[in-house]
Amino acid sequence: MKLTTIGMAAALLMSAGLACATAQTISYSDAGALLASSCGKDIEKYCPKVNLGGGALKDCMQQQGTKISAQCVTDYRTVVASLSKRAAAQAAVPGLCKNDVVRHCQGMVAGDAHFLGCLNAARRVVTAACTQALTDAGWN
Amino acid sequence: MDRKNVMMMSRISGIALALTVSVATLVGPASAQTALSGNQIVSTMASAARAAPPGLSAALIRQAVQQHMIDNPGMPITWKPLDLLNGLAQVDVQVQFALNSAIIRPESYATIGSIADALHHPILAGYKFVITGNTDTTGNRADNLKLSQARADAVLEALTTTYLVDPARVEAVGLGEEALEDVQNPKNPINRRVQLINIGKYLPGK
Repeated sequence: MKLTTIGMAAALLMSAGLACATAQTISYSDAGALLASSCGKDIEKYCPKVNLGGGALKDCMQQQGTKISAQCVTDYRTVVASLSKRAAAQAAVPGLCKNDVVRHCQGMVAGDAHFLGCLNAARRVVTAACTQALTDAGWN
Repeated sequence: MDRKNVMMMSRISGIALALTVSVATLVGPASAQTALSGNQIVSTMASAARAAPPGLSAALIRQAVQQHMIDNPGMPITWKPLDLLNGLAQVDVQVQFALNSAIIRPESYATIGSIADALHHPILAGYKFVITGNTDTTGNRADNLKLSQARADAVLEALTTTYLVDPARVEAVGLGEEALEDVQNPKNPINRRVQLINIGKYLPGK
């Protein structure tokens, strides 16, 4: 009984760990889809004359306050946080993966995007920091 | 949009400028929104298409559009559409806008996200792009040009703010009804589209 409990706890921990490892950033396309599904109705109802870009949509939804559904507010924050994280990871890849490229991708021309294919193929030996950055960047 | 604008625009029955096109000959409006993934756009845009003429920019395209309007008065059926951009690596995208306005409908946020996914990919990092807007020939030609520019601008703004694309790599240009996809049927909705076009190497600082 005790063992089973421990086993279950371990399984839970493991799945939590897995969830963490895969809690990557979402793509820009998925971000747009999430905004549309969570906020689309509110946008068409309360903010029909503002556009997605330039902060107009955010400003309008803030002005509308509690009329905007809680789910929309939550998902909007998720999207903004995830897209910022993805952009930061993309900017960090060259630095974090530099040594891995030198070590595993000899002969690749600097700046050639095909180093991505090399790094992803060599994933088992690429450093965790580089792999994580590639994952968060959406490049693997 | 104020009332005056609404009235002015209402003559352009142009509409929810639907842009679909080439890459995605997918079926129906529902799938059109999810059809074109960032990866598909990447491979199309990186494909060996005709290289853009050196120095091609939104300003040059805008000039060519103006010239095309002067050189081709009269009915669209008699024109040869603007061919400056033919053969360049490009995808046609379907974006739904509010009626006669440049407001992007939420159902198209994901589509614009797909363009962003492509533009963020390292394979395309060395290139510059234009976003174009196109209408069909319903309504007034000059108004259509204006509307198509506003729509291209709206897509550009979403890309460079919400989706964090580097503004130095993308420009927007309205083509109005000058670059019809279906010349024989100038009112065919297929003519209403947004395009992402590779206009050549991105050289920072130039």
